[in-house]
Amino acid sequence: MATKLWALGLVAFCTILTTLAQVFYKFAAIKLSFNLASILFNYHFYIGVVLYIASFLILMIALKFGELSSLYPVFALSYVWVTLISGYLFNEAMNIEKWIGIGVIIIGITFIGFGSNRR
Amino acid sequence: MNKFIIAIIIVIIGSILGALGSLFLKKGSKKLSFSIVSIMSNIDIIKGVILFSIATVIFIPALKMGPLSVLFPMTALTHVWVLFLSKKFLKEKMNSFKWIGIMLIILGVTLIGLGSG
Repeated sequence: MATKLWALGLVAFCTILTTLAQVFYKFAAIKLSFNLASILFNYHFYIGVVLYIASFLILMIALKFGELSSLYPVFALSYVWVTLISGYLFNEAMNIEKWIGIGVIIIGITFIGFGSNRR
Repeated sequence: MNKFIIAIIIVIIGSILGALGSLFLKKGSKKLSFSIVSIMSNIDIIKGVILFSIATVIFIPALKMGPLSVLFPMTALTHVWVLFLSKKFLKEKMNSFKWIGIMLIILGVTLIGLGSG
């Protein structure tokens, strides 16, 4: 099976959506107090759910047009986004190991892109 | 058994479940057409979503139970399982680019884990 190039891009987009969803979940958890109104009107949670569902639908389209062994590694971008967001949104320290790790992951994903039978 | 060992076991199980889940999602995507009914009655997709969700949910507490420098790279093991599963069950062709790419990803995740303490 050939892997369409845009399918790789779609999966990359999915990782952005799921990372955003996780950020919203984190905010939802912070703002949560144990009363019904707080739970029902926790719009951060609902936005997170919508983002997850959107990401899932886009993933299903991408999977239809590509090999799993070529598409799944693109998910590793999640590690990149999570590291960057923890560093810049949640104030965790960025350091040289994280930066090199990010670079190596991107190189790895590129290798797999080269290794996929593309059309 | 201390927390760290339990965390490792949970993460390894989670990595396998995640890989299996994506395998089912891939299988299910073949029969996919653009209707909600088609998606919701697709057994493979349902299995995939369930496995994937379980994997994601058990990762969250497990990652707090030990140093990320060890646990993070173990989560990246899913990529190894996916390569084996795709080769065996989806008959996808492997090549050195894919294997080297996966090893680089695991190396990168290990580095990030080291940087995260």
